[in-house]
Amino acid sequence: MTPLDLAWVCLGGGLGSLLRWWVGRMVGERYHGDLPVSTLLINVSGAFVIGYLSVRLGVDWRDRYSTAVMAGLLTGGLGGYTTFSTMQLDAATLTRQAPGRAVSYLVISIGAGLAAAALGAALAHVSG
Amino acid sequence: MINTIILVFVGGAMGALIREFLMIGVPPVADGFPLDILVANIAATFLLGLTAAFHARKIVTDSVNTLVGTGIMGGLSTFSSFVYGAVVLIGASVQSALVAILYLLVSVALGYVAITLGLRMGGAGSARP
Repeated sequence: MTPLDLAWVCLGGGLGSLLRWWVGRMVGERYHGDLPVSTLLINVSGAFVIGYLSVRLGVDWRDRYSTAVMAGLLTGGLGGYTTFSTMQLDAATLTRQAPGRAVSYLVISIGAGLAAAALGAALAHVSG
Repeated sequence: MINTIILVFVGGAMGALIREFLMIGVPPVADGFPLDILVANIAATFLLGLTAAFHARKIVTDSVNTLVGTGIMGGLSTFSSFVYGAVVLIGASVQSALVAILYLLVSVALGYVAITLGLRMGGAGSARP
């Protein structure tokens, strides 16, 4: 890992987080229910993109820095865009409504995330 | 608005940087269990709970909450690497698929414990986060 890799991770992490904040705002303006749909949308779309790009670019899932695209887009950008911590905060908030809702939300998030990542990877295999 | 954008950008950049330093410090365990991502996610989740609780009690301002909660903890934790790693492990072999299932279950369970602990320690017992 070089200082340049770290600079790419920083830039990607900042831009990815901004995109997450912006998507959250857009969803918040359109959806007024009490289900955490923005975090779900963000995480599932990010999972799809990482699956697609990793296969398309031939990146091993443990490799994080070798190129600018990898450090900036995959490690920084998608890492900053998607969030595990907010998913859990959403779950804790749902628990106050009904504990079953939190469990459903976590199961749906992980299930949809796995499916999206697998779909992205499969699509990259087919198209590449 | 422009302040929020700066806070989210700077926080997200810091969070992603901290995640990388953390992942260098935590050695990945044998059998391909991605302990490094797990540690980053659990740490971020606990600290997000603490921040949300302090914000609900007005101990931290909206700006600090945006910088730390939305920016740093969002940048530190990751969902994309978390699920993609699991997908690769599931597809690799039966043994690694079992590791992946354990990884998913442990991550979600520990994450839930971490957020609950963070919220409670931050004193969000009565106030909604």
